[in-house]
Amino acid sequence: MTTVAYEPRRPNIATADVQLPAVRDYEQVDDEITATLRPTRAWFVALLAAMVCLAVGISAWMYQIWGGLGVAGYNPPVMWGVYIISFVFWVGIGHAGTLISAILYLFRAGFRTTIYRCAEAMTVFAVMTAGLFPILHLGRPWKFFWLIPYPNWRLLWPQFKSPLVWDVFAISTYLTISTTFLFVGLIPDIAVLRDRETNPLRKRILSFLSLGWRNTEREWRHFARAYLFLAAVSTPLVLSVHSVVSFDFAMALVPGWHTTIFPPYFVAGAIFSGIGMVFTIIIPIRKWFRLQHYVTLNHLDGAAKLCLATSLIVGCAYMVEFFIAWYGGVKAEQDYFWNRVFGQWWWAAWIMLTCNMILPLSLFSQKLRRNPTWLWLLSITINIGMWFERFVIVVPSLSHEYEPWQWTTYSPTWVDYSILLGSFGWFFMWFLLFIKQLPVIAISEVKEIVPPRLRHAHTPGAH
Amino acid sequence: MRGVLGRFRELDAAVDAIMALKRARLGDVTVFTPTPRHEFEHAVEPPPSPVRRYMLFGGLAGCVFGYWMAIWASNSWPLVVGGKAIGSWIPYTIFGFEVFVLIGALSTVAGLFIHARLPRLTMLVGYDPRFSHGDFGIWVECAPDQRASVEALLKQHGAVEVRGEQ
Repeated sequence: MTTVAYEPRRPNIATADVQLPAVRDYEQVDDEITATLRPTRAWFVALLAAMVCLAVGISAWMYQIWGGLGVAGYNPPVMWGVYIISFVFWVGIGHAGTLISAILYLFRAGFRTTIYRCAEAMTVFAVMTAGLFPILHLGRPWKFFWLIPYPNWRLLWPQFKSPLVWDVFAISTYLTISTTFLFVGLIPDIAVLRDRETNPLRKRILSFLSLGWRNTEREWRHFARAYLFLAAVSTPLVLSVHSVVSFDFAMALVPGWHTTIFPPYFVAGAIFSGIGMVFTIIIPIRKWFRLQHYVTLNHLDGAAKLCLATSLIVGCAYMVEFFIAWYGGVKAEQDYFWNRVFGQWWWAAWIMLTCNMILPLSLFSQKLRRNPTWLWLLSITINIGMWFERFVIVVPSLSHEYEPWQWTTYSPTWVDYSILLGSFGWFFMWFLLFIKQLPVIAISEVKEIVPPRLRHAHTPGAH
Repeated sequence: MRGVLGRFRELDAAVDAIMALKRARLGDVTVFTPTPRHEFEHAVEPPPSPVRRYMLFGGLAGCVFGYWMAIWASNSWPLVVGGKAIGSWIPYTIFGFEVFVLIGALSTVAGLFIHARLPRLTMLVGYDPRFSHGDFGIWVECAPDQRASVEALLKQHGAVEVRGEQ
């Protein structure tokens, strides 16, 4: 009875069977991924920066509560501004997580394994951020609970035909399911941390969170089935959530909004922006945590192809919008689209078109798809472009409706910008806290793609 | 609960041991593995997980509740909006769908917890922290007079550590 040693493999050459050539065994996976949980000075600095941004946002919000909504840049009839733009932006960011963790899981896409935990956590924190903006947008934010159908003695109920109430249900369902999905996937990894923890207090907390998981075949069997069904049910949920968000606009008789293209257009844009944010986060993480042999260039290449595909869909939607306006022959629509691209809002529209349509075409080059620096820079432009896409959807329509005497302009104030900055601080604060408490790469799923130790010679992938 | 715990370094050794234990009918076998492996599923041949039924029935109940809630609340506060009927089922499909997903998914997790017997308050006997790290384990619940045979069988199939527990 002899143990067969692993054959040395070239660390940068992946094959269909061996996805992580530089990862030898399960122990290495545990050791290297749990090593990322040790706080560093750079992490503390980043956390401090995020909290300062958050403090700026909170201060601006307190000033807004004191001074009223007039301190924001609202200019009737432009009564939706930075807050609604940022709401749609953050909901969109939250879409990539479930796409990568659920949809790519159903399609058995190999490149998902090492990036999905990061994307899932990003989803939860992005939706938490998005949910703040409708509340910030209320003049009396403490009355936000009126949107929730709770039993009350006056028998008052929300208006169930209002897209805003549809939003409440869609977003709260999405937040609940995303959080559940993240937590269920974390249970086996928390058990790994529990079994390696030496600090008694942390061990007790991890024991509580791992629910007494023991890695039995029985647990794994039910876990795998539950995970599959959660993925199956999350897939239509992802598509529905941003469709419902798009109904906030598409149900209104406003030029540029009242169109049936909005649901698929919004869903594609959401996935595109979410993948952009995944790159923004995962590329520094793989470098700082020295995880290049887990998040390999093959994985980045696969995600970049997805980014390119969604960029093409979004670009197609932009073109189709213009075509419908021209071919439909409705004067108000034609004027609106002309004003959007060549008139008052040309700068915002061209930022959107450049960042979302033109620059991502570079991903046709395999060399650039496998260049992490380029992908990171591109992801920043995608984030900017997708924020401006929502700006271009919200503001030009409201500032250029049917009656010329209503036409106006819109300029955000320092309060809008501060709250937007605060939202990034809020998002990154949670994310930074997450990556130092729980594994940012799914330990148990990575072990699935690492060949197990065998007594007898074995061809990788053959069971 | 009495039995024997065997620890294996290699996957195929653990699978061979399970097959041998099943052939010898030496007791109930529980397998520990750091990650799900099809090899164990083929060796243990467990029944299909019933978790899917929780999704079906939870989802259907959620869908019915979503529609009912919207229709009942609309009838209770009857305002005509946009010329639509008070109980307007087409827009209420959103509530039917969202609550279908919500209750269906939460029921699935409840099914996972019930059938995987989670949360577990104690680790009980027959567990070793190395089973979440890199080793495979086999816990055989057996009578004291069978213990020697089980230990011999586990060692014969490559167990690096065998110990009795109760």
